[in-house]
Amino acid sequence: MIEHTQADSPALAFRDVSSGYRGREVLHRVSFTVAEGEFASLIGPNGCGKSTLLKTAAALIRPVSGSVSLFGRPAEHIKAAERASLVGVVPQKLESPMAFRVGELVMNGRISSMGLFGRPVAADLDIVERAMIYTDVLSLRDRYFMELSGGEQQRVALAMVLAQEPRIIMLDESIAHLDINHRQEVLQILLNINREQRITVILVSHDLTLAAQLSDRLLLLDGGTLVADGAPQEVLRAELLSRIYNCELQVRKDPWSGELQVSGDLVTGRRRMALDRRIHVIAGGGSGIELYRRMLIEGYDVSTGVLNKLDSDAEAARALHLDVVLEQPFSAVGNACYREASLMAASADMVVVTGVPFGSGNLVNLSLADEALRAGKPVFLFEGIGSRDYTEGKAAGRKAAELLAGGAESWSSMHELLAHLQKSFQS
Amino acid sequence: MQSCPDNRYTGRKPGRERLKILLFLLAVPLLCLLSLLLGPSGIGIPDLSQPSGSSILALRFGRMLMGLVVGAALSASGMVFQALLRNPLAEPYVLGVSGGAGLGATVSILAGSSLALPLNLPVTAFVSAVITLMVVYGIASQGAGGSPSVYSLILSGVIVSSICSSLIMFLVSTASVEGLHNVIWWMLGNLQPVSPQQQVFSLALVLLGIAGIWVLSSRLNALTLGREMAHYQGINAGAVIVAGLLWATLLAATAVSMAGMIGFVGLIVPHVMRAMFGPDHRRLVPLASVGGGTFLVLCDALARTVLAPLEIPVGVVTAIAGGPFFLVILQRRMKQAWN
Repeated sequence: MIEHTQADSPALAFRDVSSGYRGREVLHRVSFTVAEGEFASLIGPNGCGKSTLLKTAAALIRPVSGSVSLFGRPAEHIKAAERASLVGVVPQKLESPMAFRVGELVMNGRISSMGLFGRPVAADLDIVERAMIYTDVLSLRDRYFMELSGGEQQRVALAMVLAQEPRIIMLDESIAHLDINHRQEVLQILLNINREQRITVILVSHDLTLAAQLSDRLLLLDGGTLVADGAPQEVLRAELLSRIYNCELQVRKDPWSGELQVSGDLVTGRRRMALDRRIHVIAGGGSGIELYRRMLIEGYDVSTGVLNKLDSDAEAARALHLDVVLEQPFSAVGNACYREASLMAASADMVVVTGVPFGSGNLVNLSLADEALRAGKPVFLFEGIGSRDYTEGKAAGRKAAELLAGGAESWSSMHELLAHLQKSFQS
Repeated sequence: MQSCPDNRYTGRKPGRERLKILLFLLAVPLLCLLSLLLGPSGIGIPDLSQPSGSSILALRFGRMLMGLVVGAALSASGMVFQALLRNPLAEPYVLGVSGGAGLGATVSILAGSSLALPLNLPVTAFVSAVITLMVVYGIASQGAGGSPSVYSLILSGVIVSSICSSLIMFLVSTASVEGLHNVIWWMLGNLQPVSPQQQVFSLALVLLGIAGIWVLSSRLNALTLGREMAHYQGINAGAVIVAGLLWATLLAATAVSMAGMIGFVGLIVPHVMRAMFGPDHRRLVPLASVGGGTFLVLCDALARTVLAPLEIPVGVVTAIAGGPFFLVILQRRMKQAWN
């Protein structure tokens, strides 16, 4: 019996889908639907699960839980050959180790519709020809695929997927490497087939401005969960994006076209070199590395300690040429080191405590923050010290509470902390 | 952008392609006839009026058939391994087929049982080859969650092969002189006709294997783009890989059980056919089979003629005679086969 796709069901629906690879779940309980004929873009930082979502939608990865349906039918019940006529995926890069010519490669798009021995009929040849004309690769027909430039290869890959005549086309960052004229062309092709043939397009994109310009719908993923889903103007909010991408971003509306533009701040002059602000960081166990990096990029002088030798933060501090006070490996912070760190912190403009766990060995480091606070310098504590407190009698938690009562501030997002630092230094 | 009109004509022209294939297919029976004229008893058609003459011709004809079947099996098998593993170094023995079959055959020869039962040696070689493939596939699947990666397949194949060869070496080192001679002769490979019932059985298996591969050919094309892309093209990638590996192993194991271990054919003939006719498997499956068969028939004719009445093992001739010739072709046309 042939199950027909229902006319009014969504082209793609995720219901509570968790998915990933062996031993590593990437998507967590993601739910959304994309209607037939929609142009949707998947956005989100690197590693947020965009590609995994595409692979799950195309049934390359079976979800751990939840269900994926295509045109109202459970994806796992759709046979491979029929699935190819519903969903086509243009990969990030297509690689062919053997010397296939462009024409032969595009013909692959018809495989699942051809017979046992793969003999194309006239209709197949027409479809392939049309796909090649559409993507402007007809003149490359007899060239070797792997000899083409990256952009040409991408257009051949698109032609191959178009030759499948799928009802949904998904593109995985496939246009990122095209030069501008062919990028515009490919996007125009996508828009045309979307508008004229009601083919659903799902685009994974890093370019937020472009995604906003093209799409009816944006799906914003972060850490494997769907954090926003809606029209571009609903999803592209500076405050949300800055938090998700963990950097300062602006969203502007072009006064003439009404298009949304997302941009970050780049300090291009020499200003940042002259910041001449010094920050002492109390870290350990790898909790400081990202903060060191970001602070150095922003142009601060960074000192850190007391750390134990062989600690990953100590290794990073040495590699980054930070001023650092080092205690012997695996031993408690001694008086000599503490006095050295105290001098170092005294020359800093502020003290930041990272999400380092505290035990009896490094508890004394919190006194550095105490001294700074008494000297009238701003002190920032990463929230939840109590939950990382391994000292007897929860001494670190009590100390932190005292510091907060004495005027120290709590921080949780690095991006907010850095924005805050900048503001406080400007005033 | 390439808008130069010449581009459309730099590639394959369908007419020339067909002519090339036609010429090749015409050359095949001629070369086979040539092999009938060569033998240790002299060059030319033997005198058919004498009983010795007709039996010489029958002998040569038998070896020609053996060569065709074994060569076709090795070449088709190598072609499939190269496509599935996306690796130009793959050959019929890559997943331990030779090691497994060799070990089985060595045990069988040294135990002396190959003389007692006529089909014992080939059956042992065949069964141990298939068992080896299952072991290799099983090991490779362990770490990868059910479907092994190309690299884990190749790696575990190489390791299992090495273990098998070491075991063979061990057995050989402890063998008697007579057993030693038999083992080595078998491992060098030869096309002495096997028993009629084994011939029929093997021919059926080889034809079945080649047909099985031909059915997969358009899917093999898609799989050269990688498993993921093949999946997106609507192909059941895992099933095609398993089927391809099974057919290719069946072919290789059949060839080994008929003629021992003949190297070089399964590695190089697919490359040359790909260089000459392009990588499209729909064409390549029959062409590589015919090409491999013809090549082995010619090599065998040389093997029994050059130093007559001494016979050189055909496995030695394949590389010595074929090597330089194929190097020239590959050096000039490799670009048409692999990137």
